[in-house]
Amino acid sequence: MAEVTEPGTTGRFLILMRPDASRAGLKALTETAGLRVTSTADFENGAMSAETLESAEAIFFDELAVAVVDAPPEQLQRVSALTAEESGILVVEPERVVYAFEDAWRASTAGGLSTLAPEPPSTVRPLGAERSEYLLGYREAINHLVESILGDGARPSGAALGVGPAQLVWDETQVTWGLQATNVASSQFTGRGIKVAVLDTGLDLGHPDFVGRAIVSQSFVDGEAVQDGHGHGTHVIGTACGPKQPSRLPRYGVAHQAEIFAGKVLSNRGSGTDSGILAGINWAIVNGCAIVSMSLGAPTVRGQSFSRIFETVAQRALARGVLIIAPAGNESSRPTFIAPVGHPANCPSIMAVGALNQQLQVAPFSCGGINPQGGQVDIAGPGVVVRSSWPRPLLYRTLQGTSMATPHVAGIAALHAEAHPDMRGAVLGWLLMGSSRRLEQSSRDVGVGLVQAP
Amino acid sequence: MAAQNVNVAVAEDFLDRFADVVRRCEQAGLKVKQRLEAAGVVTGSIASEKLAALKRVPGVAAVDVDRNVDIGPPEGDLF
Repeated sequence: MAEVTEPGTTGRFLILMRPDASRAGLKALTETAGLRVTSTADFENGAMSAETLESAEAIFFDELAVAVVDAPPEQLQRVSALTAEESGILVVEPERVVYAFEDAWRASTAGGLSTLAPEPPSTVRPLGAERSEYLLGYREAINHLVESILGDGARPSGAALGVGPAQLVWDETQVTWGLQATNVASSQFTGRGIKVAVLDTGLDLGHPDFVGRAIVSQSFVDGEAVQDGHGHGTHVIGTACGPKQPSRLPRYGVAHQAEIFAGKVLSNRGSGTDSGILAGINWAIVNGCAIVSMSLGAPTVRGQSFSRIFETVAQRALARGVLIIAPAGNESSRPTFIAPVGHPANCPSIMAVGALNQQLQVAPFSCGGINPQGGQVDIAGPGVVVRSSWPRPLLYRTLQGTSMATPHVAGIAALHAEAHPDMRGAVLGWLLMGSSRRLEQSSRDVGVGLVQAP
Repeated sequence: MAAQNVNVAVAEDFLDRFADVVRRCEQAGLKVKQRLEAAGVVTGSIASEKLAALKRVPGVAAVDVDRNVDIGPPEGDLF
């Protein structure tokens, strides 16, 4: 076994290969680095004995396309002469020592902090000096490895994305602040190939920013055409799917190549019913939409539970690969009063969106997760000073509300859906939430934090 | 004899007999407006006093009275 030089590591290395290039990766290890590789594919049920694991020079986990290599860094470095394409190797990491959490505390206090009286392991403790030492040592090991493999190519670590200046100031000449804060402005994804249903007051089909766009539209409001006579629908569709280059800057739309399914479930006066909304959801499912954005709702009261009908339908939608996203509601007057998340966003299977202002703090009107049955805020999006499209002749308007935060999340969901064709429904929702930027505010108000584009 | 707009969710294990459940709801007094088979929901109206019987129809998982949703007129700026 190689000599252990850095604390917290074993001296071995983990190598991640591209799943489709493991043969190239194995060749790089055997021929270029001159290692003897033992593969799990050669063992019954893929199970190597503990002795083999300990003594082998290099082990290849066939199903994972990961190798564990016990060799000096210099030997491994020969592989770095190959291109990533030739070797199929994506990442090299030092193998860490891992502990059960209770043991980690003991291991890290072993060397010199024994003057501290040890607390019983069941006590919840904040991250203290002894754990920081462990982490700092690990970071040193990584830096050492990077330097030894990359040599002069190693760049110093940049400034961490941490606490910013006291006041966030946004330049909105090119792109709205919301698209900047959610990383949409720098994302390469466009929503191409993804069908996004927006259930609202319809769309101004003649708006210059939507000319030539793939749009399917349907009205579910008796006696009214899908043409937007209110404005709200045009605004939220603009946020979710507006063009990359609008007639007038700034850019305000997220998934600029998504296929728009504009379902009118609210009248030109802004009113609708559950049955109309359900019809819109049904239509979205039938048409294979990956995302349903519905910036609508009704207030709830403290103690109120969620609609079993909407929850059942939302679960069925998820099972069919359709993620439904709705606003948390605007009935709060923070800080004095926090209203509960409204219907239907209060359904557990519907993603409920809270609104943030330009300082990335929860907006005063944004509802909170105060009801015990369902009613949680899942995620947050830009919901104040949101500029987007509006029916002619005005063309653009700046609004606020959880209705505006919702299509940010929906458009970004379309980008994630494009980036991961195999992830839909609940898995897509999990991806959205996992990649969000965690904030310091209560999850009651912002859920997992500010949605981020891939 | 006030009629109420209702939304009816068909139970999971009755989804393959959706048409049958809808028929039975009609027999129980439901005047069907929409059949939303992908969502497993049927919408319509029914006399208030027949609501309880509708909920007991085999294959009916839940019945909601139709709720109104209002985002307000376009003149507002908080949505």
